[in-house]
Amino acid sequence: MSDFRQITDFLWERAPAGGMRVPARIYATRRMFEAVASDNAPEQVVNVAHLPGIVGASLAMPDIHWGYGFAIGGVAGFDAREGIVSPGGVGYDINCGVRFLATALAREEVQPRIGDLVNGLFHSIPSGVGSSGALTASRAELQKAAVQGAAWAVGRGYGREEDLAYIEEGGCMADADPAQVSDRAWKRGQGQLGTLGSGNHFLEIAYVSEVYDENAAGVMGLFPGQVTLTVHCGSRGFGYQVCDDYLGVMDRAVKRYGIELPDRQLACAPLRSAEAQAYLGAMRCAVNYAFANRQVIAHLARETFERVLERGPADLGLRTVYEVAHNIAKFERHRVGGRELLLCVHRKGATRAFPPGHPDVPAVYREIGQPVLIPGDMGRYSYVLTGTARAMRDTLGSTCHGAGRAMSRKRAARTAGGRDIAGELRRRDIVVIGRSRRTLVEEIPEAYKDVADVVDVCVAAGISNRVARLTPMGCIKG
Amino acid sequence: MAERDKPWLDVIDHTADVGIVVRAGDLRTLFVRAAWGMFSLITDPEKVSPVEAARISVSANDRDELLRNWLSELNYRHVAEQRVFGSFAVSELTEVRAEGEARGERLDPARHDVFGEVKAVTFHGLKVAREGGQWVARVIFDV
Repeated sequence: MSDFRQITDFLWERAPAGGMRVPARIYATRRMFEAVASDNAPEQVVNVAHLPGIVGASLAMPDIHWGYGFAIGGVAGFDAREGIVSPGGVGYDINCGVRFLATALAREEVQPRIGDLVNGLFHSIPSGVGSSGALTASRAELQKAAVQGAAWAVGRGYGREEDLAYIEEGGCMADADPAQVSDRAWKRGQGQLGTLGSGNHFLEIAYVSEVYDENAAGVMGLFPGQVTLTVHCGSRGFGYQVCDDYLGVMDRAVKRYGIELPDRQLACAPLRSAEAQAYLGAMRCAVNYAFANRQVIAHLARETFERVLERGPADLGLRTVYEVAHNIAKFERHRVGGRELLLCVHRKGATRAFPPGHPDVPAVYREIGQPVLIPGDMGRYSYVLTGTARAMRDTLGSTCHGAGRAMSRKRAARTAGGRDIAGELRRRDIVVIGRSRRTLVEEIPEAYKDVADVVDVCVAAGISNRVARLTPMGCIKG
Repeated sequence: MAERDKPWLDVIDHTADVGIVVRAGDLRTLFVRAAWGMFSLITDPEKVSPVEAARISVSANDRDELLRNWLSELNYRHVAEQRVFGSFAVSELTEVRAEGEARGERLDPARHDVFGEVKAVTFHGLKVAREGGQWVARVIFDV
């Protein structure tokens, strides 16, 4: 990838050449860039730069790695009139995201009960492959959830009205169209609401181990030693099926509209086409499904905290700090090249990070910018960041979304060998339960890159501010 | 891992995803082995009792897509019907149509170790080709 040249210590660029309509830009140190270059991810960023209507640059955050069509960590904005939408630019797990909650409790109060708490969460929140059974919802109810998102769950008694203000999009994406969702997707989604799923999805109890920005932390109500809860999951089989269905639709659309692609997996359709409208209608259903899913899980977790710790809601103080989406396409207004444009912004393994003052940031956070939670691995740490004006200018208001894997699952399992992973972590005061031993060995801390390196690049490049670091106390892996 | 005693199966070790390469002397066997290979990522197919049969019928525009659709249909039946499959047969196969059956049983977490989830069978690097006198298929799964 010698065609990329280093612009700053943290930014690499490939100037437009051939069919590229805009530059390709990757946020990374030299070491990171050399590592990602080995798996063709930079080429994928270049490929996206070829797509019709792309504006500004094809971007990749520092946790970039190879993905289906678009790289994971990719961000791209397409002009609402001339651009396209691509399911590969959103990913299979539509609106995979993170709900970040804080308690009013200090680490010392929770540490003696952490084993019971993790066990309680493990039993009250279904996890693992094909997990189901958290709640029963008829097809008609499921369709309501797909339109109303988190509000549907609140209406069914899962959580509180005030949670909604602290979710990206208010927990509900407008213009979701259940008629565009296949029977197969509804079937796959049936019974999976309120379930964590498998793979890298998790639920983690942590404590605030470091505060970097006292003002921002104060505004978010975070203090040193405070116990927090993070939920990472998405739209389950429902979203996978929506993506799969529309990859086929888009494959045909590419031929119909005569779109030339450098890679078949970038299959897309003009935003004004019937195919694009159908995909967006179905995708928004999956987005809302994921919002409802995390709302139910957050509520089940809240009940479990209350039961295990024998505390009332006020005493426990478990409240939503913020919830972000990682895999999504949405219309946003951005200034590009001195003009304000309406763009269909694709974020795939990237997080929206809007700056202070932005109207889409909840009023309480408007002074500090949108909160962003960047999960690491189960043995090290996660970070709380905020969005910046620089991110709005340079990355369409986006930042990284996590650590990214350093090892394949197989290599991680080989590395773990016969080790007692849960025992190792327990000795470090971290209680971990996995649905199977295999889950734990595949998710060992060293299977992931050090998230601190990823966050360092985002902070150094000015696209995020560092607010706090969280250290794990307990974790459930699906 | 089951691939150890299946010389016709290689599991591709990719950082974030998983793939398989399968080989066979004829196309029908290739489709059967690809199905087995995919299910070996989900559970141990050898521990699945073939008590129920599911009819599988798929079509596509070309042979590559046909293999993808065949696997995708099997995975759908697995997740939507909560079944696991361990043996497969192809009764009819053309360039654009495949018919066959998968034999298995209801997923029972007490008896079936579930290793992981196949979110989707992707088009990435998808290939069905004749190489050195045998058929070879390469498929990447989003997991």
